[in-house]
Amino acid sequence: MQQATHAGLAAFAPLTIRQFLKLTVPPLVVSSRCHSVIPPPRDSDEKEMLDRMLRVDHAGEYGANRIYAGQMSVLRRSQSGPLIQEMWNQEKKHLERFNEILAENRVRPTALLPLWNIAGFVLGASTALLGKEGAMACTVAVEESITEHYNSQIRALMEKDPERYTELLQVIKEFRDDEMEHHDTGLEHDAETIPGYWLLKTAIQLGCKVAISVSQRI
Amino acid sequence: MAALVRALRAGHGAGRALRVLPRVLAPHCDQKCMFHGAVLRLQDESKCDKAASATASATHHVHHDFQQAPPEDAVSEQTSDEGHRPSSSFQEQSGEQDEEYETEEQLQARILIAALQFVPVHGWSMEAIAAGAESLGLSSASTGMFTGAGDLVLHFIAHCNSQLIQILAEQQKQVQLGQAEPKKTADFLKDAVETRLRMYAPYIDTWPQAMSLLLLPQNIPEGLKLLSSLVDDIWYYAGDRSTDMNWYTKRAALTGIYNTTELVMVQDSSPDFQETWDFLHNRIQDVVNMASTAKQVQSTGEAVVQGLVGAAVTLKNLTGINQRR
Repeated sequence: MQQATHAGLAAFAPLTIRQFLKLTVPPLVVSSRCHSVIPPPRDSDEKEMLDRMLRVDHAGEYGANRIYAGQMSVLRRSQSGPLIQEMWNQEKKHLERFNEILAENRVRPTALLPLWNIAGFVLGASTALLGKEGAMACTVAVEESITEHYNSQIRALMEKDPERYTELLQVIKEFRDDEMEHHDTGLEHDAETIPGYWLLKTAIQLGCKVAISVSQRI
Repeated sequence: MAALVRALRAGHGAGRALRVLPRVLAPHCDQKCMFHGAVLRLQDESKCDKAASATASATHHVHHDFQQAPPEDAVSEQTSDEGHRPSSSFQEQSGEQDEEYETEEQLQARILIAALQFVPVHGWSMEAIAAGAESLGLSSASTGMFTGAGDLVLHFIAHCNSQLIQILAEQQKQVQLGQAEPKKTADFLKDAVETRLRMYAPYIDTWPQAMSLLLLPQNIPEGLKLLSSLVDDIWYYAGDRSTDMNWYTKRAALTGIYNTTELVMVQDSSPDFQETWDFLHNRIQDVVNMASTAKQVQSTGEAVVQGLVGAAVTLKNLTGINQRR
């Protein structure tokens, strides 16, 4: 199907017999959204809303990446190193996906990226210095914030028009499930045993809330 | 499409300044292009179908619009939807049912386009807009619709931007079809900025006045928005897909290049602005050199850090610190 489209476009390229045979088969109805996650915006309001959502999601994944990087820099050779590395790899995949989506849809990334770079790394490294439990507590707090944020985005999109945003909803749901898994993993690995757990968690979640609200516009 | 065909046919009959407007609707075409399409269709209907009577009735209708400010928007918004449908409102010879309603924005666009031809004479001013309105058969009092000559400049800039986007989209299509070679980034930027600045060539004598109008407080936001969307579009078509701070640095660099080149152009007296294009070429080279120098600095820095870490480990080994495990 894709090759038929390609052959149609590159009309001057010589067709191989295989391509020609594929051409003679009537093409299936190709969904116009088969490659893009975001539907083309109908007006500037929708574009702005989608831009904000994607910008803050991108910033969130970028920050999460840096947090795990900070944690790894301290706990690389400890017992929880492989675990943190695995969670970090998943975040890297998320970030890559959002990079693609932003580039495709010409969304401006947040100008505060250098700030989240440093702040994320410092947060990850400093909580990891409190030990494995500190790192896990940080993970729990951050993943809970992110999960809540994704949930509110899913709610907003469902309220607007679930049909129109099916692919985007799929992506966000998938990522939300991954983040919830990280959250549960953190809890399993003694996050709550750290002294001052409640204080640490509240402080981190407050920071996340501020970061999310600021990254939407700037 | 029907509008295009009729416009082309009519174009042969009447050589008006309006015909120079590009009519190919590009994917990134903004509302103004749609207005122009509708404007030309309206123009054709008044010219081809019925001669003076229609123009008079259109004029009368448009005047009627002015005198009735509040209900006008409601009516014209409603009928502008009808106006956008290409051939459904095409009335043959049955005269009186003039479906030539147009929105206020369409009318403004029409007047401003017509005003451009008077800019060399009157400068970027309300007189030019008034002369434009009169050339369309409207009263010069219609300048009351505009807040100032800045509107004319901003509209012209938006128009040039959409023309540039059409050209860039066409070039991109050519490259995708394999009919043209993809250009290197520096060359692409140079060509894009040159193409865009050449659109100012017919008005270059009065362009300083236009630039000063853009610096008035009421025009600054819109002017900046147009400039940023221009730079964003040029980089998009140059292939930039960055999603980090490079997004900002690239656009800032190109904005600097574009603004300085524009300033050089207004005081350039060389034939065909050759000095300007040389200046542009040099500025782009500067940016390219700076980017490669930055990369070199970064890789040198990384190598230096690695060297230092190696030296530290060697020292630790020599002094035996590493063995205390």
